[in-house]
Amino acid sequence: MPKKKVAIYTATGCRSCETSILDIHYQVQRLNRMVDVVFWPYVLGSQLDDVDALDSIDVCFYAGAIRTETDRRMAEKLRDTSRHMVALGACAAFGGMPALANLSVTDSAPQEAIGEPTDPVAAPTPGEFEPHVKSLTQVVPADYVVPGCPPTQPLVWAAIQALVPEAGSDSHLAFAFSRLPKLVAEAMASGVLPPRGTIFGGDKAVCASCSRVKEEKRFKTVLRPYQKYEATGRCLLEQGLVCQGIATREGCGGLCTAEGIPCRGCFGKTEAVFDPGAKMVSAISSTFEPETPEEIQALTDQFIDLTGTFYRYAFPTQCALQRNRSIETQK
Amino acid sequence: MSEFDSKIITFLCNWCSYVAADAAGVSRMTQKTNTRVIRVFCSGMVDPGYVIKAFASGADGVLVAGCHPGDCHYISGNMKALRRSFLLERLLTELGVEKGRFRLEWIAASESPKYAEVINAMSEDIRRLGPFSTPSRVDEPSAAASASGQ
Repeated sequence: MPKKKVAIYTATGCRSCETSILDIHYQVQRLNRMVDVVFWPYVLGSQLDDVDALDSIDVCFYAGAIRTETDRRMAEKLRDTSRHMVALGACAAFGGMPALANLSVTDSAPQEAIGEPTDPVAAPTPGEFEPHVKSLTQVVPADYVVPGCPPTQPLVWAAIQALVPEAGSDSHLAFAFSRLPKLVAEAMASGVLPPRGTIFGGDKAVCASCSRVKEEKRFKTVLRPYQKYEATGRCLLEQGLVCQGIATREGCGGLCTAEGIPCRGCFGKTEAVFDPGAKMVSAISSTFEPETPEEIQALTDQFIDLTGTFYRYAFPTQCALQRNRSIETQK
Repeated sequence: MSEFDSKIITFLCNWCSYVAADAAGVSRMTQKTNTRVIRVFCSGMVDPGYVIKAFASGADGVLVAGCHPGDCHYISGNMKALRRSFLLERLLTELGVEKGRFRLEWIAASESPKYAEVINAMSEDIRRLGPFSTPSRVDEPSAAASASGQ
């Protein structure tokens, strides 16, 4: 059987998603046997023009947000060439942190804001910018989504296993049954492709897999992660930390909250949540102690950058006031 | 120039504010007509998501009205609405929804003049603010510039 051809590319992003592909431990060896990586600038040093020489790609893992004209061109080219397009990581799936740049949209192009480079070697001229930062899914249809910042190894491996099937790999899929929606896990076990549009994550909120205990207690002051650290024990939101587990898709297994770090929402919102910001406003408001308007106002003033916190990874796609007509091309 | 016809979504609680709105109509009080009333059982059930959805669906203003503190039919539903309103208002401001587009008011069943007054004041405020649009709701930079320049 010929090896599947795989392309891996990061647009505007930090390349952690690509690193997380390398971070699948022993399976890297098997990955090498299973696939033929034909395009991977990060690891193989492929040039952007190399894509033109490829007539077909089986699976493309596209990470990063669409910020520049090159990002868009590569997205369109790889989409045309690939049978399956996977939005890898929060940036490609939801816009990610680069998309918070949309908060300061100005009339002038980013080029003008940056100004002319003084030293062309140290600071090369940036290419053309898109007017707004978008997710990959807003620019071209993506067949599958692997959320996370970066995606966790089990889910990256699950996506690879699902899309690049290998005979006799059922035993390695046991984790899929506990972490993925039933439909996806069953599809993977029987060796067929998961339905198009599958998100490699759970159905419920992070709270469902969080190891912490809710005590129905209320907090008086807002804390930031460095101010309070309890390795195990009580619910972080009830301690006054802004933990977004309640609005966020699970699948990570509550990794951060188990370590005492509040959830930052990198898996995007769950299906049941309309708008993550609204959900968090509701969750926080029912958990703080102050009763009188003056006290509540004083507490509200302690919060810093609500938009950047609640929509940290999904501003252009999941903030209801930002979604515009180009959204979700895949639907 | 024709006057801008705003859309205001009003969530009225079944036990106080809706009765006040009804009475205001029956008593033939002069009211602006650009409200769309949604009757809810309690102002405490108006999730912040409803308010954001209203703005996202093209509303220019959202009014949530409930019973006065202490008068809630469900004991403390209106206090829940009050608790949420502070953080919600902050979030809306950060997202580009100007102050005045979202309001929380206590209107008792007997206060129909107050209802008419709030509605008239709010539609006047919103008429002055103009139609609601966030810069990124339009796709093209030229359209965004003209929308924000209004």
